[in-house]
Amino acid sequence: MVNPVSRREFLNLLAATGGIAAALRAGTALNLLPGSASAASLDLLNLGSNQRKIAILGGGISGLTAAYELSKQGYDCTVLEASHRCGGRVLTLRHGDLIDEIGNRQYCEFDDEPHMYFNAGAARIPSTHRNLLAYCKELNVELEVFINENKTSFVQDDNMLGGRPIRNIDYTTNMRGFMAELMAKAMNCDELDAPFTEPEAETLLSMIRSFGDLNENDLYSGSFRAGYAEGGFLKHGVQKDMIAFRDLLKSRLGRQMMGANEGDTGPILMQPAGGMDQIIRGFLKHVGEQVKYRAMVTSVKVTDKGVNVAYDQDGVRHSLEVDYCFNCIPTHLMVGIDHNFPSDYVTAMKYVRRGEAYKAAFQAKHRFWEDLDIYGGISWSNTKSRQLWYPSHGIHKAKGVVLGAYDYGGGMYHTMMNQEERIEAHLADHEKIHPNFRELVEKPVTIGWHRMNHMLGCSARWSRNFGRGWTHEEETLYHKLQAPVNGRHYFIGDQISMHSAWQESAVMSAQWALSHMDAQVRAELV
Amino acid sequence: MLSFVPPDARYKIWGLANRILLALAICQLIPFTSAAAEREPYDDRYCTTCHGTDGRGNEGIEAPRLAGMEDWYLRRQLENFRAGIRGYHPMDTAGIAMRPMAKLTDDSIADIVAWVGSWDYQPAEITIEGDVQSGELLYGVCATCHGMDAKGNAAMGAPALAGQNDWYLVTQLNNFVAGYRGRHEDDRYGQQMAAMVGTLTDESATRDVVVYINSLETR
Ligand SMILES: Cc1cc2nc3c(=O)[nH]c(=O)nc-3n(C[C@H](O)[C@H](O)[C@H](O)COP(=O)(O)OP(=O)(O)OC[C@H]3O[C@@H](n4cnc5c(N)ncnc54)[C@H](O)[C@@H]3O)c2cc1C
Repeated sequence: MVNPVSRREFLNLLAATGGIAAALRAGTALNLLPGSASAASLDLLNLGSNQRKIAILGGGISGLTAAYELSKQGYDCTVLEASHRCGGRVLTLRHGDLIDEIGNRQYCEFDDEPHMYFNAGAARIPSTHRNLLAYCKELNVELEVFINENKTSFVQDDNMLGGRPIRNIDYTTNMRGFMAELMAKAMNCDELDAPFTEPEAETLLSMIRSFGDLNENDLYSGSFRAGYAEGGFLKHGVQKDMIAFRDLLKSRLGRQMMGANEGDTGPILMQPAGGMDQIIRGFLKHVGEQVKYRAMVTSVKVTDKGVNVAYDQDGVRHSLEVDYCFNCIPTHLMVGIDHNFPSDYVTAMKYVRRGEAYKAAFQAKHRFWEDLDIYGGISWSNTKSRQLWYPSHGIHKAKGVVLGAYDYGGGMYHTMMNQEERIEAHLADHEKIHPNFRELVEKPVTIGWHRMNHMLGCSARWSRNFGRGWTHEEETLYHKLQAPVNGRHYFIGDQISMHSAWQESAVMSAQWALSHMDAQVRAELV
Repeated sequence: MLSFVPPDARYKIWGLANRILLALAICQLIPFTSAAAEREPYDDRYCTTCHGTDGRGNEGIEAPRLAGMEDWYLRRQLENFRAGIRGYHPMDTAGIAMRPMAKLTDDSIADIVAWVGSWDYQPAEITIEGDVQSGELLYGVCATCHGMDAKGNAAMGAPALAGQNDWYLVTQLNNFVAGYRGRHEDDRYGQQMAAMVGTLTDESATRDVVVYINSLETR
């Protein structure tokens, strides 16, 4: 949660950089100022009989947000999208879809059924991403709950218990028990106890006991919380054996296991029924006719009065003169496109590094995880494939699609492999969790975002000293790129946010730019 | 004001486009990878995603200028990447990135080379600084193959240097010096080049020689 003081500080900062409209809008987003839960609270002036032309470069979710909002207010928008599809990193793969990875083009061969899809980019929507959720509501995108942590899923590490996979619940129950025992011991030691009053110490101790399910002697001796070794319904349940603390400590996967529901994945997570791109389709129902596909922007020149854009489509170079331009083309690609941006803006553009995410998926011939009491969630392993996601949807249907690899930060390991090597790596990795995995799955797809056409990367990385936050220089560069060129050209997308890799960031960056432009248009029209 | 496009309308349009493309492909007018007729078509003309507008180079992803590259040189490099003769050393990160992108058929390579030849050429932006005089002296060795004017020499298999992105020339010279390029046994021309960089004893020498190339008239 953001505390009221820092919210206020944030608003002051925005007011300084983005004008009043943006501050008002962001205030709504942070629930500080009254505002409707619907996205219509973005208060843009309706043009009435006035006319303004807009070019939107890239049909990513931020670009479509801009097209949708501006069209509502009478702006004449054109969306130029280089790819055969809109959505960018919101990519849902279904039967027959092209995966446009350069050097590794594939068609998705999943069965042609509504629940047989894979969200190869964005997959989860936290309940706190209220701007994105407001669009889901407004665009009638049906949402369902996404199961992220699942206690019956597995954790596997070659270094732990001879590589035998254990259930998440066995890992976490035992780990919590041992941790609680340590904490209880500490609480019973006078020195550590000292800062607390007696009632405080008592409350804390009772919490520690219940956190780890300690016995009356404050010791952990196993727990029914891990489920039963046998029985439990018609017969009394038999407690499972404890797993030794030392054994659990052989694995570092505790980082994932103990922190599963924290941070961005702490709130309830959701997904659109039928695939993440239902949001994109929702936008396209309204602005679909304004999109030019396979229209690759080749030049962006800012003038006194507006922006001149050139693009290639069907082997012909076209030009477009507009009043304002919103651009979600990844900065690292924009560097190679003709422009007349000022040099400090270019410096900022060149500073941003590109992310390296990688995902893979398989069609499962039957829903083998349901036979193991697993319904949705993630199995973690200490392999390069890292994660195995069981679908939250399509429960009890014949087949399903499992995510077979997801590496957000270090995706180059698999990206560097060819298709056969990638698939073999995932099959071998997951055989450690499901011994006959190889026979259970088919029809793989792999997506190296670093090589996806018109993307060539994943989320922007602004900070170079990872983990230690942004430097002052980085903040300056960021604000440089957020501010429009000549009041006419706005960069948008999650790259223009301080929390990249979320659709919410992309949507909010567009709303920020729209509010900023709106203030200018209002001034022009008085 | 807001128009509604049924989601499947686009697929119909693509289906149609697909059939036209297929027909053109059969007439050998454009490269086309055969796939089920209703599927999204694709071709191999993806170079500008990385190499920028009209192949003028993109420092953002270390992709050099293709416009103005001699057709024989471009073809040879594409073939070298495809065969793993170039982009084989783990330290040559940009070369490694290029390798899978060069998984092309001979026809695609021919198409790309012709396509690149059709691009509008403008000299590259100058991005580095150094000592031109020192560079001129160092360039003497290079001139033997690449020509006094750095415009290249087809007979020697040496490409033009003038007009190329300076940051790319620096990277490649460094790669030759460090042995990240030109050490593959099948890379005849690369080996020749690797043998010639002995005079570039430090980074400033490399920069100077590139600064001198920058000072030459481009084509
Ligand atoms: C693996 C992965 C997992 C993710 N998980 C989540 C998640 O769980 N939840 C979540 O909310 N978000 C997630 N994200 C992040 C989310 O997908 C992005 O933040 C968001 O989609 C970015 O949208 P954008 O508007 O910035 O544009 P992008 O999606 O980056 O779109 C840019 C567009 O520009 C187009 N373009 C490029 N060059 C040109 C050109 N020359 N001319 C015209 N158009 C061009 C591209 O084709 C593309 O359509 C994930 C992303 C990835 C890759």
